[in-house]
Amino acid sequence: MKKIIFILTVFVFMAGIAQSQDEKTTLGFKPRSYYTFSWNTTFTMGDFNKWVGNASPAGFDFGGRYNLQGGLVTGFNISWQRISQSYGYQTAYFTDGSAITATNYRFTWMVPFQGVIGYHFIPAKMVSPYISLGIGGDYMEHHVLIQEFDIYNTRWDFSLTPEIGALIKFGYFSQWGALVAFNYKWTTNKIDFENYNWTSKNLQMLNLKVGLTYILR
Amino acid sequence: MKTKLFMFIALGILAVTACTKYPPASGRLTEDLVIYTKYDVGVNFYDYHSFAIVPKISYINGNDSSYLTDANAMALLNRIASDMVGRGFVKVDSSQHPDFGINVTAIKTTNTTVYYPGWYWGYPAYYSPGWWGYPGYGYGYPYYPTYVTSYSSGTVIIDLADLKYKTSDNKIMIRWNAYIRALLTGNHSQSEILQSVDQAFTQTPSLKTTPEPLAK
Repeated sequence: MKKIIFILTVFVFMAGIAQSQDEKTTLGFKPRSYYTFSWNTTFTMGDFNKWVGNASPAGFDFGGRYNLQGGLVTGFNISWQRISQSYGYQTAYFTDGSAITATNYRFTWMVPFQGVIGYHFIPAKMVSPYISLGIGGDYMEHHVLIQEFDIYNTRWDFSLTPEIGALIKFGYFSQWGALVAFNYKWTTNKIDFENYNWTSKNLQMLNLKVGLTYILR
Repeated sequence: MKTKLFMFIALGILAVTACTKYPPASGRLTEDLVIYTKYDVGVNFYDYHSFAIVPKISYINGNDSSYLTDANAMALLNRIASDMVGRGFVKVDSSQHPDFGINVTAIKTTNTTVYYPGWYWGYPAYYSPGWWGYPGYGYGYPYYPTYVTSYSSGTVIIDLADLKYKTSDNKIMIRWNAYIRALLTGNHSQSEILQSVDQAFTQTPSLKTTPEPLAK
């Protein structure tokens, strides 16, 4: 997985740099703003990975970016993401004297919302790589479903998301394009089930976003 | 251009908000084997020494009730008894004033959609306190028991009734019970069914006649 992400990142940047070197004419335009809608796949890390180890493709992200000056942009992202995994027969013990053995289904549902500041290295080009930093929060629900029994935590958090990616216009003057981005997300969120004997802190994850972009000149 | 932008934004917001929080039920609720137990945390099981178990399994199917006496039913009763003996309890006849009476019930389907604690006690085939030698008594829970929302796949319920300490209001308390669901789906072998009985005891370590020896 890490290798794929690395190759993707290198490809996106190399494509942008190669294009900027090859084309001496000023084809293309610098976006005044753009909106992205992307499919998001999450790869959990650390303690969060012990909670749910699966890569989870159940997620979407909607974002907007507004050019400030040069390649500097600001904007927002709101998302929806669910990570889930089924586990075999496990026994959970509770302080009221009850215990239950069944297949366990763990999932976390999250709604991230962040303000973003970013920089496009060659904003007018067809392939426009960027870096950005998202600062905001998440609403998360952590659930353990033991058949019809649903045990859950609800938590808000603070989060930071450094991201690299590229905006890829479908033509030099096209208002439509693709978005490929990869980010690391750190949150203050935690999972804390005293009865289920589970604690995970500072949940972290990697996200791969692939989507469509609508660009305004 | 504004129309396209508006549609794009609307599509994005719609997609984000339309997504459900819970995964599809088909992926997480298989109505498979569940072993649920609960015991009275206020009781000291070391204070009890003997038990008797019913000779047949009470069987509830819809509004009807009867008894199960086939080889599988007997194997289930024997396994419960051997698990109790393994915990140090002595098996006696119901006429010998046991400390615990064990009722075992199998429920196939019911028309009930809301399950109140002990609702199955009223069926004719359920062994009443009178059968244990205490006519005029009723059963009760010292704790709030759980309920299982579906019995369509078959549930076996084991009730451990306290015949030693009856309450002043003529109640026989259930000190431990186990719900084992999905035993009647046909998907589980007899070996798995018996193992699930063992698991019900395993997940209640305090159900035994002697405390653990102190670590040296």
